[in-house]
Amino acid sequence: MDMFPFGIEKIYVDEKAQKDSVTQKVLSALSNIPAEIIQDKKSIIKKALSASNPLENGKRRLLITHFYGRMLKPCPGTSHHICCGYYVINTMTNCPMDCSYCVLQEYLDNPFLTLYSNWDDLFQEIKVFLAQKVFPLIRIGTGELSDSLALEPVFPISQVLIPFFAERGDSILELKTKSSNVGSILDLNHRERTVISWSLNPHRVIDEEEKGTASLKDRLNSAKRCQEKGYPLGFHFDPILYDEDWEQGYQETIHQLFKEIDPKRTIWVSLGGFRYPPKLKPIVEERFPETRIFLGELFPGRDSKFRYLREIRVEIYRKTVDWLKEIDPGLFVYLCMESKEVWERVFGWAPVNSRHLNFLFEERVRKFIK
Amino acid sequence: MNIQKIPLRQIDLYDETFSVNFHPDLKILRSSISELGLIQPVLLRGKGETYQIISGFRRIAVLNELGISDVPSRVFNKDEKDELQLFSIALHENITTRGLNSVEKAIALYKLIYMFKVKPSLVIQNYLPLLDLEPNEKILNTYLSLAQMEEVVKDYVLREEVSRSNIRRLSNILPEERMALIPFLSSLKLGENHLRKILMLLEEISKRDRLKIGEILFRPEIQSILSQNEMTPSQKTERVKKLLLNIRYPRFSQLEKTFEERKRDLNLPPNISLHHQPFFEGKGLRIEFNFETIKDYQEIITFLSQMTDINEFQEMIKGT
Repeated sequence: MDMFPFGIEKIYVDEKAQKDSVTQKVLSALSNIPAEIIQDKKSIIKKALSASNPLENGKRRLLITHFYGRMLKPCPGTSHHICCGYYVINTMTNCPMDCSYCVLQEYLDNPFLTLYSNWDDLFQEIKVFLAQKVFPLIRIGTGELSDSLALEPVFPISQVLIPFFAERGDSILELKTKSSNVGSILDLNHRERTVISWSLNPHRVIDEEEKGTASLKDRLNSAKRCQEKGYPLGFHFDPILYDEDWEQGYQETIHQLFKEIDPKRTIWVSLGGFRYPPKLKPIVEERFPETRIFLGELFPGRDSKFRYLREIRVEIYRKTVDWLKEIDPGLFVYLCMESKEVWERVFGWAPVNSRHLNFLFEERVRKFIK
Repeated sequence: MNIQKIPLRQIDLYDETFSVNFHPDLKILRSSISELGLIQPVLLRGKGETYQIISGFRRIAVLNELGISDVPSRVFNKDEKDELQLFSIALHENITTRGLNSVEKAIALYKLIYMFKVKPSLVIQNYLPLLDLEPNEKILNTYLSLAQMEEVVKDYVLREEVSRSNIRRLSNILPEERMALIPFLSSLKLGENHLRKILMLLEEISKRDRLKIGEILFRPEIQSILSQNEMTPSQKTERVKKLLLNIRYPRFSQLEKTFEERKRDLNLPPNISLHHQPFFEGKGLRIEFNFETIKDYQEIITFLSQMTDINEFQEMIKGT
């Protein structure tokens, strides 16, 4: 899999980030690409946003800079729905891949692939946060505003985070990816404190809607390699896209997955029907005129995001849970950003609130890791 | 530049290089010229034995109609100005005297890029503001797509004052599909929002079911609505929209239908209404009632309390 499926034409280096060792690593790994030291990133971002095709062009430009706000935050979740009490670290924003349904197209106000090189600040922030002991066990992921492993060969943040979390007993790191870039993390001493997760979809959906990502086969091969190295694995069927072929597609994908992967080494599986904020649709329709993601029965919910009709979501989740439980009744399956009513209809029970769900995660982790 | 009288027969009426006219309404101009003669001379360019019109196509058409043989004109020599300069002059004159409609703006932008070879970036920067349009690529592309649409579609766009976002939707549709669509749209009464909704529904049904838009429009249930002469265009619009919504959202429509049937079975008095959650998303139902007297109020309360024993009502609550 190509790390930059759309190529990189230029690197902008914020003068404040110029001397950081990670900046030097990135520049030396990409020494054939022209780099420019910049003083004013805001004006460059503004110019890129006003030019034509900012999203396409942004994926071909790297910006290395410092992040001055909080890099570790609670997952934004969504109102009126049950969230899982997850925390996110943003060391990168934007993604070299180009999934039609990606919410970042609407969410980010900086189109560049942006790498934050002030890692000392980040680790200091993580230490301070963990010392507060907000929950007995904190789950933290890096795959919120980018893909966790897509740029690992040039921006090796996971290779520093994994050993950091290996030393701790109060937290679990989750790396979510659609890539197959696991080579550099396989031999790290992780002590099962890092979960490597893949977002999965049927290969037809990957071909049509997930441009620049690794194939299903490559994702599963990489997962198998991580399993062999003792990493706990997670799988996210999210977004599930509902069409006339969905049952066959997802059922086959689940069988393919567990042909390669031991369900007993799978710490969790999440399910999430396709959902989107209203402003995303016109952007996607313009960038991906062939997309079929909006052709289902999608309606605005209590958080204003569009989702499939509730009875369709319930059908999707019930069937998928059945297929998963047929493989292994002990699989820990949860719903991402779903309402209490949907949880009840799918599982016959629902977490009382987000804190309760977080507690169930803690239990799962404690049972799972040695 | 002096004003000359140029014989009309020497003017090439078929050379439309510099014209941006689209179905001009000549009524007012005709009556003005009939009454007062030509007030503003036209602009021509010498072209061998004949003259090419730079600006004044509408005026010359009226003079021709009225049988006036000499045309007061200002004449450019053959090489005095290049083609782009002349087109710019024509544009400026049209904009300052009468303004351009949306199709004429589209024609002007199309000619600038494809006939006079002006770079799109320069058209965006210099000509979009001149035409009172925001200078961005999306706007330029919208007008370029309009310029390439069929005459009947352009007519429809002008007649119904179709918005830019709806022009963009029309441009996503294949030409033969658009041709099938225009008579259908013309038979309805569509404002901006209705048009957007109908186009979106047709586009999405066509894509989902892999059908041509024409195939959807010729479904018997749609044709049956369109052929009902006793219905007004507004009524037809509502019926067609409802039908397209049912086709586009079959499961939602079925839920609505079932809910309405159950509600009917409850025989609610007219001053009590029962509602499900928006899009059946949340739990529970909502009851609204209104009353004018204490007696009305007591009757409502009695009715509501009796509803708890009705099976259909219990089923409705369970179903949420």
